[in-house]
Amino acid sequence: MKVSLFAQVPYRYLPDGFEERYSSAVTAPYGLVEPGRVHDSMFSAYAELMAGARAGFDGICVTEHSQSSYDMAPNPTLMAAAVAAATRAEGLDVAIAVLGRSLGKTREPLKIAEEYALLDVMSGGRLIAGFPVGLSYDANLNAALPAIETRERYREHRELILRAWTAPEPFPWNGKFEKYGQVNVWPRPVQQPYPPIWIPGTGTPSTLRDILANDFAFVYLSWDGPKLVGREVFDRYWELADSLGRDRNPYRVAFLQVVAVAETDERAELEYGRHLEAHYRSGPGAIPGTMMAVPGYVEPAGIEAMLRSGGPAGMLARMRTASFRDLVESQVAIVGSPATVADQIEAFVREFRIGNLMVMLQNGSMPRDLTEKNIALFTSEVLPRLRPIWDAEGWQNRWWPRGLPAPVQDRAVPVGTEGSTR
Amino acid sequence: MTTSAAAVRDEVVPVWDGRLRLHVKVAGSGPPLVFFHPLSGLTWDPLLDRLAEQHTVYAPEHPGTSPGEPRAIDEVATFGELLLVYDELIGALGLDRPAAVGQSFGGMVAADLAATIPRLLSRLVLLAPVGLWRDDAPIPLTEMVAGPPENMPGYLFAHPDSAAAEAMLALPADPALIPAAIAQGAWNIGCTTKFAWPIADHGLGRRLHRVAVPTLIVWGREDALVPVAYADEFGSRIAGSKVELIDDCGHAMQADQPARTWAAISDFLDS
Repeated sequence: MKVSLFAQVPYRYLPDGFEERYSSAVTAPYGLVEPGRVHDSMFSAYAELMAGARAGFDGICVTEHSQSSYDMAPNPTLMAAAVAAATRAEGLDVAIAVLGRSLGKTREPLKIAEEYALLDVMSGGRLIAGFPVGLSYDANLNAALPAIETRERYREHRELILRAWTAPEPFPWNGKFEKYGQVNVWPRPVQQPYPPIWIPGTGTPSTLRDILANDFAFVYLSWDGPKLVGREVFDRYWELADSLGRDRNPYRVAFLQVVAVAETDERAELEYGRHLEAHYRSGPGAIPGTMMAVPGYVEPAGIEAMLRSGGPAGMLARMRTASFRDLVESQVAIVGSPATVADQIEAFVREFRIGNLMVMLQNGSMPRDLTEKNIALFTSEVLPRLRPIWDAEGWQNRWWPRGLPAPVQDRAVPVGTEGSTR
Repeated sequence: MTTSAAAVRDEVVPVWDGRLRLHVKVAGSGPPLVFFHPLSGLTWDPLLDRLAEQHTVYAPEHPGTSPGEPRAIDEVATFGELLLVYDELIGALGLDRPAAVGQSFGGMVAADLAATIPRLLSRLVLLAPVGLWRDDAPIPLTEMVAGPPENMPGYLFAHPDSAAAEAMLALPADPALIPAAIAQGAWNIGCTTKFAWPIADHGLGRRLHRVAVPTLIVWGREDALVPVAYADEFGSRIAGSKVELIDDCGHAMQADQPARTWAAISDFLDS
């Protein structure tokens, strides 16, 4: 299977008790930061992604959030561009997954078509194009778009981008939200007809059906770990796949898991415990539940289901006061020795049939040296156990970047490096 | 005589070339009056009972807010289209220049109908309407809508603990019905805020001079959602209009000051 390093860009120096006074999204007061520490947080995130690429991860993954203290990534293609160029120069054959620019949030969808295409070109065909709707607070408060139009915008924008990447001639676009006389994007992706498309979703039947019908990959950003809702989501996913005549290829799905590895379980708790607690409390736990579902973002039937099940808002509320014990027992974070971590990951990977695993190894206040230790231990002790999990079944990963098309001659190889080829 | 809830009937009126079936609650007798509801959707409250004592009250439900038809909202693309939908509705109901009462979001609808289609209505009552914007008097709509539910009463009422205020926000007594009620309430706000987000300003201020019918503007002085400063903004733009300010009164004026609110409205409608 493919294992990638996922990173957000939290401000790493939030004051203690942040979550008792502030929201981590929309209204987080910028007056709390020191500019030098923003630089440190930002550059550390970049350096850790590069460390992960060098240490043997198959891909690196970034996400988009505006006006947020837990992920200072208003445009993840910028960070991805830095990693794409640096890995290209070093000859590191890693996928660049942007998970991604939010299509329900953007006012400029063709900019996304152009930026993704540039990344694919720059990286030599290593882009995974993530097409998320966008969180409600981001689309409806930060970008201030009417909540009830979020999904309509998403659908129109996705259709427009895919057409802009593939249309042989310039074309007019008379959409509900976007109007153009001549769409003719330069550059376009080098992967033909376009890069693998990964769709993050919470696992509602309508989203899963859309993903399967279009043969995209389903990305489950599992902030709540595999235990709480994983079973329900992936049972539903594979049953739908069966009913739509799709095979049970595990590479159809990607799953995100927070992981912290140390030499022993005890050391892991000692070294990572306070950073993990601080992350959940001041990051996801400090997003008010109401901001995750601005009225109109979720249809009445969805809200009803959410209220009856306790829903994501309930989960966020619990994270605000989560203890290390809660996090580990619920598997919101998988923490411990290499054996502990590998056992727990392997179990849910096999149970849910996950072909693309993403691990988040930096959280909240966790400093760079500790994160790089986590990266080193994970890649040397855990990753080798996970990589062959699906080998015996012989599936092809059709949702992985394909590199440069064969006829294209690489004329831009920096001195002393090999081009990325697949 | 008061109209009981049982006397309110639901009429379904096809409009918009058959793409919309608007639900209109109808009650009372007398000259026609159209009531345009606020952001949260239509609730038949005592104010509507009072209006129905001397009028035939037609209270349309904003597209998408009628239970079971959530996606009806998609048929109305813009606020301008919403005005045309209501123009068609008034025609389809066979109403000849009805009076209009609009509250909050519905006040913006009624005011813009009167400005855009000057011969549609006969009289206009605006209860703390949105529709204008002043940088020195921001309207905390996004904060209220996306904020914690427990903050909502503070935006709406000067007296959030009053029985009338609690009745207005009350959830069903049967716990099994609560999720559906919360879901419908949230969706209603989604449907109305489609045309009010994040700032309810469609240029009404540049059209209000076209309002050519007798107009009453009523505002609570303690309105925490749409500050009372907007009363004069509306009043000064609508020639001959009358502004009534109510003391000790918030945005949902029929809950905070039912008697004074009714007195202002009935004096105007009777005059």
